[in-house]
Amino acid sequence: MHEGGAIFYIGSFGVTSIMTTMAGITIILLLVCLKATKKLRTVEGADIETPTGLQNAMEWLVEFLDKFLADIMGNAKVARKYFPLMATLFIFILISNYSGLLPRAGHLPGLAAPTSSLSVTVALSVTVFISTFAFGFKEHGIKYILHFFKPVAFLFPLMLIDELIRPVSLSLRLYGNIYGEEMIGQQFFQMFPLFLPLPMQFLSLLMGLIQALVFMILTSVYISEAVIDEHE
Amino acid sequence: MEGSIVAIAAGLAIGLAAIGPGIGQGIAAAGAMEGMARQPEASGTIRTSMFIALAFMESLTIYGLLIAFMLLGKF
Repeated sequence: MHEGGAIFYIGSFGVTSIMTTMAGITIILLLVCLKATKKLRTVEGADIETPTGLQNAMEWLVEFLDKFLADIMGNAKVARKYFPLMATLFIFILISNYSGLLPRAGHLPGLAAPTSSLSVTVALSVTVFISTFAFGFKEHGIKYILHFFKPVAFLFPLMLIDELIRPVSLSLRLYGNIYGEEMIGQQFFQMFPLFLPLPMQFLSLLMGLIQALVFMILTSVYISEAVIDEHE
Repeated sequence: MEGSIVAIAAGLAIGLAAIGPGIGQGIAAAGAMEGMARQPEASGTIRTSMFIALAFMESLTIYGLLIAFMLLGKF
């Protein structure tokens, strides 16, 4: 909940509880992925084996995200190409948001929602910002710069501001929502710890999903704007 | 004395920043729901666009929240 000080030091490098939570989330996701793909059951074999258990659940998630992104970007091939970045952001942000709902998150050393820290959200949105440009230049070559002068050349300053404000609003939206929500939960808990925080917790459950979804949707919109050429 | 004025300013910053986006989000959600009621088969597309629109409006309130935090950090 608080940015807080370091909980322990490696040399002069302070490790905060946000960093340990992020490492924990990464390890958990890695283990889940390894377990889900350990014994892949495919339909191609001699006797038809449909996926079961964890693999089935993960396939459902990936297929849902794939269809969802293809709908937004309006081009299934492009969506599939940039799927890894966007889906990773979604899954990581979702788990990070929900990690703030664990009991005593933010007070227990070593457990705090990573997305309630501005540093983490800025890092995520700068990744999106840089990769948008990289994808644009990769797709269109140096001609990508021309897209700032369309439709009219004198709108260039506005287009530039529009481009530069994106990481700011992307990071502040996620940070503000999650941080605010955690603060409200804490205040409610201090007022009356029984039952009163429950409605807020339910709202947080919804908010965490929506914010992760919004981050992914905006990323896909930015990428499709940079990559797909409407004037072809 | 100065601290209390800063506290009032922080309250006003987030309070006033919530008014406009609140009205705007209400209008957007009302329009989206009307569209969904008229055309239930298009509800998926409408819901996605509504989320994007709401996110853009919401960022204005978040700017207000940021200013409130910055003011509170002053004392």
